[in-house]
Amino acid sequence: MSDAARVENPLRPGRVILRRYAAYLAATLAVLAMAQQIIVAETDWARMGSAAELLREAAAFLPNLAFMPEVLFPLLETLLMALWGTAMAVALSIPIAYLAAKNISPFYPLAYGFGRGVIVLSRSTHEIIFALLFVSALGLGPLPGILALGCRSVGFMAKTTAEAIENVIPGPIEAIEATGAGPIKVFLFGVVPQVFPIWVGNVIFQLDINLRRASILGLVGAGGIGLMFAEKMQMLEYDKAGSVVLGITAMVIVGEYFSNRIRTRLI
Amino acid sequence: MTSDEMTSGIDTIHQSYLADRRIRRIWKFVILLMTLTFGVWTVDVLNIPIERVLRMFGPLATMVTERLMPPDLYYVMEPLILASILETIEMSVLGVVGGLLIAMPMAWLGAWNVTPNRNFIYPMARAVIVVARAVPTLMWAILLVAIFGFGPFAGTLALLKSTIGFAGKLMAEQVEAIDMERVDAVRATGANEIQVFFYGILPQVKPAWVGISIYSWDSGFRGSTILGFVGAGGMGLYLRAQISVMEYHTAMGLITAVIGLVILSEALSHYLRHKLY
Amino acid sequence: MALLEISQIRKTYATGEVALRGVDISLNGEEVVAVLGLSGSGKSTLLRCINRLVEPDSGTVMLDGVNITKLNKSALRKARRNMGMIFQEFNLVERLTVLENVLSGTLGSSGTLRSIFRAFKPEDVKRGMALCARVGIIDHIRKRADQLSGGQRQRVGIARALMQRPKILLVDEPTSSLDPKIGAEVMDLMSSISKEDGIPMLISVHDVQLAKKYSDRIVGLQNGLKIFDDRTATVDSESLDRIYDMAS
Ligand SMILES: Nc1ncnc2c1ncn2[C@@H]1O[C@H](COP(=O)(O)OP(=O)(O)OP(=O)(O)O)[C@@H](O)[C@H]1O
Ligand SMILES: [Mg+2]
Repeated sequence: MSDAARVENPLRPGRVILRRYAAYLAATLAVLAMAQQIIVAETDWARMGSAAELLREAAAFLPNLAFMPEVLFPLLETLLMALWGTAMAVALSIPIAYLAAKNISPFYPLAYGFGRGVIVLSRSTHEIIFALLFVSALGLGPLPGILALGCRSVGFMAKTTAEAIENVIPGPIEAIEATGAGPIKVFLFGVVPQVFPIWVGNVIFQLDINLRRASILGLVGAGGIGLMFAEKMQMLEYDKAGSVVLGITAMVIVGEYFSNRIRTRLI
Repeated sequence: MTSDEMTSGIDTIHQSYLADRRIRRIWKFVILLMTLTFGVWTVDVLNIPIERVLRMFGPLATMVTERLMPPDLYYVMEPLILASILETIEMSVLGVVGGLLIAMPMAWLGAWNVTPNRNFIYPMARAVIVVARAVPTLMWAILLVAIFGFGPFAGTLALLKSTIGFAGKLMAEQVEAIDMERVDAVRATGANEIQVFFYGILPQVKPAWVGISIYSWDSGFRGSTILGFVGAGGMGLYLRAQISVMEYHTAMGLITAVIGLVILSEALSHYLRHKLY
Repeated sequence: MALLEISQIRKTYATGEVALRGVDISLNGEEVVAVLGLSGSGKSTLLRCINRLVEPDSGTVMLDGVNITKLNKSALRKARRNMGMIFQEFNLVERLTVLENVLSGTLGSSGTLRSIFRAFKPEDVKRGMALCARVGIIDHIRKRADQLSGGQRQRVGIARALMQRPKILLVDEPTSSLDPKIGAEVMDLMSSISKEDGIPMLISVHDVQLAKKYSDRIVGLQNGLKIFDDRTATVDSESLDRIYDMAS
């Protein structure tokens, strides 16, 4: 390298570069330390056996295609749970969005704080936790699962709806007010048409996500195809468990495809 | 146009509009009816007795007011639990870092505009990302536990998968939005594909990728809190145990801790994203 | 008595911006009055104080013997039906059709249930269509408003205001968002409708030529104060120039 190239870059003094590399080094060491802890210290490598044995165990999960037809009904059940869970979230999200939208929230900041609190709670609690709680209160079946999905996705729906309401353009609303329309009509004609397409997009997005969520709820007894998976694992019918996973994967991919198609067409 | 002609013109338009509106109303009614029938049918398929729905509010209220409240936060302070929380964090970091190391090349190979080969490598990389997204993480974790045994190693691998799916898709989208002229400029110097990636592509997507990486960790951490449910390491194990022995107050303590940590991680990722831009 | 009687209207915005410092205007019968002033002189604020889209701090607005400034909310809504407003930025609801935008002019008087289902009365629909024909957008009534050009949008805005059967039209810089040729067409249209139907207009403009061409009277605003008020036929160009010189 020529001497000119070695001249210090005035924008980045050596000290800063040094500090940056020290940070990289520290981060790498930290990750390695965690790896040592998790992968070396806490893993029973002796029990696992050779790579060939591992492969053989993994191969046991290869889907049993003959079993696929039996997966269809639980998949349908899962889809319906996702539909109901989304419907519940949508219904609950409208009043919560009303409270959580800064520009229309009544009794600011009381109701606003409440709305935001519900949103945070819903968004940071895993669906499995909701499902466990509902199963423990109501027993097994798809009902607690639907409630869990509703609670899990109401936060996202309310948050995005509130944001859409906060971002409405005021001009058309003023124009409707100027005709002498009251608050309900102003909302219906000034706010709803502006918010609706965004809202529909988010409903479809949540439906897609809830399809994934619904497929695992059965693991804790909250209905859907997860139950079948748990049963097959218990009975050590790994090939059938593999079929269940294949079925879910296919359903989720199809769901995501349609969700994307519809959402791009909406815009 | 005379005013008479105009009036009759409006009349025609008006009549056809009203006729259309009538047809639209009939359609709306039919769709409403179909939706209602479908709704009833789904309740039947799911086998949810209506009286159970109507009677659920009492138990739910009891659950919230008596069994869950107040959360027992002392339980969370026990060394065993604190250790499991630490293990959860470690798992999430390892799984996400590893996942990102795989997601980045996948995003490059699976971006239509820059992929080195559109007939073979592109569909393969896409398939990896799509499948990684579609396979439910918790089931994947169960499979991994069956193969590799209980413990955080299985959980780490599960997070690896979910990170590849999550970050791979977002990162590939970023690559597909880059300015191709700058890539072609690098290519014109005779650089090979790897050099093109490092000098033409990476500098353009770096800020977005950093943001996605932080976001991935945030999402990975949320996921890692429940992996213990299936024996794949971390604090989820205790949560499941407490719920299954009906120790709801301690369970609620753990849930509170999870929510607190998730909010903390979100705040941290928010802070990092803002600081790094 | 004058149809519209504005006296001593003052408005200071929450930001501390003083927009109006006591303005009087009266408008009778079938006049077209131009409110002329530079950007920031308070034209929009003045027009909005009349239908109380902006709440004036003090002063009174009398329309047809009704003291608008004293009305409670529901009475104000009733009074607003009598005032059609046309906006600089058109303010159409982009996602609704042209016809729905026009018919939204009836919202002040239509039933809530009808508005929920967007089921306007057939006779209103017919009148809306006739208005669309009159302003020249009958071929577009089923299009969504965001598919129209600027001039067409303003025509929808005009039809929406006329749908109210207003006693007066409040028009805020109707052509500033349009190119001059289209703007002139829109002005011609409004002025002919005003003449034919005998609806007076209070119209804000910042262009002296437009004010001269289309108004019967010109009111000059500057920094929230009325600095002159004269018949257009007798207005002396010097005083017009004065507004522009002093502010620029
Ligand atoms: N919503 C508002 N909040 C605070 N200040 C405002 C608001 N609207 C207008 N103003 C201020 O009030 C003054 C008068 O504004 P106004 O919009 O009435 O003027 P204008 O004559 O209509 O101007 P233009 O020709 O630009 O439309 C300006 O100084 C403006 O900055
Ligand atoms: Mg203005």
